[in-house]
Amino acid sequence: MSAKARPSATAAGAMMMAMFLASAGDARAQGEAAKPTQLPNAPVLLPVAADPTVSFRIAFTVGAQDDPAGKEGLAYLTGALMAEGATAKHTYPEILDLLYPMAAEYDVRVDKEVTTFSGRVHKDNLDAYTTLLLEAVMQPAFAETDFARVKQRTVDFIEKTLRYASDEELGKAALYNTVFAGTPYGHLNVGTVAGLKAITLEDVKAFYRSHFTRDAAVLALGGGYDAALVGRMQRALAQLPAGQPAPVAAPQVKAIAGRQVVLVAKPGPATAISFGLPIAVRRGSRDFYALWIANSWLGEHRNSASHLYQVIREARGMNYGDYSYIEVFPEGGRREFPPTGVSRRQQLFEVWVRPVPNAQAHFALRAAVREVEKLAADGLSEEQFKLTRDFVVKYSLHFAETTFDRLGYALDDRFYGVAAPGDLANFREIVPTVTRDEVNAAVRKYIKPEAMVIAVVSEDADKLAAALAADTPSPITYSTPKPPQLLEEDKTIAAYPLHVSAGSVHVVPVDQMFAK
Amino acid sequence: MKVPILTLAAVLLAGAAAAGGVFPYQHQVQRLDNGLSVILIPLPSPGLVAYYSVVRTGSRDEVEPGHSGFAHFFEHMMFRGTEKVPGAVYDQMMTAMGADANAYTTDDYTCFHLNVATADLPKVIELEADRFQNLSYSEADFQTESGAVYGEYRKGRTSPFEVLFEALQDKAFDVHTYKHTVIGFEKDVAAMPTMYEYSKSFFKRFYRPENVVVMVAGDFDQARTMELIKQQYGGWKPGYVAPAVEQEPEQKAERRVDIAYDGRTLPILAVAWKGVRFDPAAKDTAAGMLLAELAFGETSDAYRQLVLEQRSAQRLMADFGFNRDPNLWAVIAMVAKEQEIPAVQAAIGAAVARFQAAPPDPAKLDALKRRVRYSFLMAMDTPNNTAGHLARYVALTGGIEAVDRLFATVDAIQPQDVQAAAKRLLTPERRTVAVLRGVAR
Repeated sequence: MSAKARPSATAAGAMMMAMFLASAGDARAQGEAAKPTQLPNAPVLLPVAADPTVSFRIAFTVGAQDDPAGKEGLAYLTGALMAEGATAKHTYPEILDLLYPMAAEYDVRVDKEVTTFSGRVHKDNLDAYTTLLLEAVMQPAFAETDFARVKQRTVDFIEKTLRYASDEELGKAALYNTVFAGTPYGHLNVGTVAGLKAITLEDVKAFYRSHFTRDAAVLALGGGYDAALVGRMQRALAQLPAGQPAPVAAPQVKAIAGRQVVLVAKPGPATAISFGLPIAVRRGSRDFYALWIANSWLGEHRNSASHLYQVIREARGMNYGDYSYIEVFPEGGRREFPPTGVSRRQQLFEVWVRPVPNAQAHFALRAAVREVEKLAADGLSEEQFKLTRDFVVKYSLHFAETTFDRLGYALDDRFYGVAAPGDLANFREIVPTVTRDEVNAAVRKYIKPEAMVIAVVSEDADKLAAALAADTPSPITYSTPKPPQLLEEDKTIAAYPLHVSAGSVHVVPVDQMFAK
Repeated sequence: MKVPILTLAAVLLAGAAAAGGVFPYQHQVQRLDNGLSVILIPLPSPGLVAYYSVVRTGSRDEVEPGHSGFAHFFEHMMFRGTEKVPGAVYDQMMTAMGADANAYTTDDYTCFHLNVATADLPKVIELEADRFQNLSYSEADFQTESGAVYGEYRKGRTSPFEVLFEALQDKAFDVHTYKHTVIGFEKDVAAMPTMYEYSKSFFKRFYRPENVVVMVAGDFDQARTMELIKQQYGGWKPGYVAPAVEQEPEQKAERRVDIAYDGRTLPILAVAWKGVRFDPAAKDTAAGMLLAELAFGETSDAYRQLVLEQRSAQRLMADFGFNRDPNLWAVIAMVAKEQEIPAVQAAIGAAVARFQAAPPDPAKLDALKRRVRYSFLMAMDTPNNTAGHLARYVALTGGIEAVDRLFATVDAIQPQDVQAAAKRLLTPERRTVAVLRGVAR
């Protein structure tokens, strides 16, 4: 990635943070009184009077990027203990008992830059639920027993589940950690094994005091709430300590020199592939929606309309699916639509090739890279552009069908500084006005596949490393008949140059992943 | 383009339900002359509609040896098109609609679902009616799709839970088709490319109107929609042939299986009993569902002890689910350390023994009943969520009356009913224990 395309981290970052923490004007003046009654940041409100449920979100501008060096995982453990631990009023089992008959819970997502507590409850149970949620955020007890439980579970998640039980998530994590190595985004949201083990309960308590402040908090309410609830939540959250933790500069991604390959060596019958490159485009701009259209054509998530899906799965039957993204998309195997609460100042363009048989890994990688290069070179045709643009306008209707989900988008709008009517509405208002020229210009501007990181999880790591470095042809054979024109195209793919040099291939044993 | 923005279903829980029932929306049910059931559920969701086709065939119906996984494979073939609308054209039409369209297969049914703008509903009815009646694909397409299914199998194999369930079900059942998982045994998945002719007979036997329920939920004109459905599906010929699913004989002794997982994982312990056939009016069905939560849910003594206090289990889950035939009621524990497997198994046994010895605390049972009700109602918020939550009831019973029946049965359950179910059903003879351990190379 060229220096020119790199985002100007500090300026843009500071601006974005300032927008997320949009001042409530008068509220700030009141906040300086002896006992503040409102948060400095204006609340995000989505009233739906007839809704018999209320949706809650409380976001803090703190995340994995704030983890001190050597204590990676501190933000995650702090957030997780608030959501899954005792409070000053109740033990954790008591909290579970109290929430149980409401069929309600509060959840936390700790991402790179933002930590969000969220939940939804029926109005019948509103008062009791609100009390519990506020206690979790305001008065976490950080009990030793909860700490030991959550910490051990998190270490086991890395050592067992992520390393061994989901090659796809492993591949994606390897991609992100490689691209962002040396930056505050360079470790998993849950931390590292060594970092987690080094964290003490005192670290958690101190981190909570310094980072979960009223200046860092944004309250969001949706559904059938009333003004009294807004007042109650504001008054309570305003009692959090003041102060804004030191801002973390947006990641300064090192320019990627050509094609960099990280091969995670791990036994298994199939090979997982992810590749990508940093892109300096964010929600709200016309470029973002233009690039969204191009990406939707190339690799709409979990959708057979995806071009990559057509080439790799539909025509060749090599795997279960093939998708691409211009914003981070965690839990891709489990969710259909984009998540909220993962707002970041720096994003990747990312391709996800679901596991292919080991013998077809090199071919599959070539096929996927070739399609990305074709897109970068040729852009979309008029027909592809029109079909996809109309698709995106209507498909985006499904992104947030509930108030709870729309509240998440509204909070994200605050982070990204997307002006009203917001990102969701932009899909209906801006996308229809985007032209093919804008789409193809955005592709040329941001998708520069000559420099990117390729992450592969395979038991044939050494063999594949040698084949990639030598650009060895990788002919494919099928157990079933295929049409002649496809077999002809296969010959091109099998010899397609990937431009990987020997020095840019790194094999990592799986047990070293996320160690420190 | 003008596209409406959805506002949340406002009448949720607001008293629109039929008197006494828990299901919150008025609805209309019709059975066409050819046996196709149609359920229309209007609910306030301006401009959005969910269209579900529930085929009452799943991996349970794979009775012929060597064909495990076929119902799921066939779900994939349903996207390969017809003579009138080839697969690529179908995909393009879905794209033009911006449809959220997908499908899934379970042990008891296969579900095809679309979430679309109301304006596209007539086209959806036409397309769905066409593919359910006139599916047509070449042998080459069939064989290519089998590769994608094998890819799905490979993707799943990295999860220790998939490996566990494959071995557990195989061990627990001798003759019933619940012996295999939905994805099927690997050797059967590998042999799928050779089964083109079989696939055509599968379509003829199972994809028939008497075996399918069409469910429409959301914002639409009821009369017009029913008329279109009659028009488009009316010519569909009946001819469903119910498979002869062999019933499992009574299990006489405890079974055990040890499983090696190729990778690192915490050990996983499964203790599973043969459950009961789903019957919304039967106490055993309701008591079983409640028992799983009371004995092993987040507020149970066992969860508190194993997960929160001793931390000998990192996760504890129980699912005494709903099935057409008695399937496994399983308690699954992810054990923190290998040497603690016996203690965790003993604690699960002790929890069962407590419920067999004495009825549960009535206050806890009441709290659970409230939870079950709120949980169901809060899920009924969008057309897609509403239809999605009803799909299993529709598949098991052919309609949605079962929901209100089941909740009435749940309401009537007394503490001693839970105890009786524990005593009668959670016996050692009906039990299969599986232990999975990682063996990293």
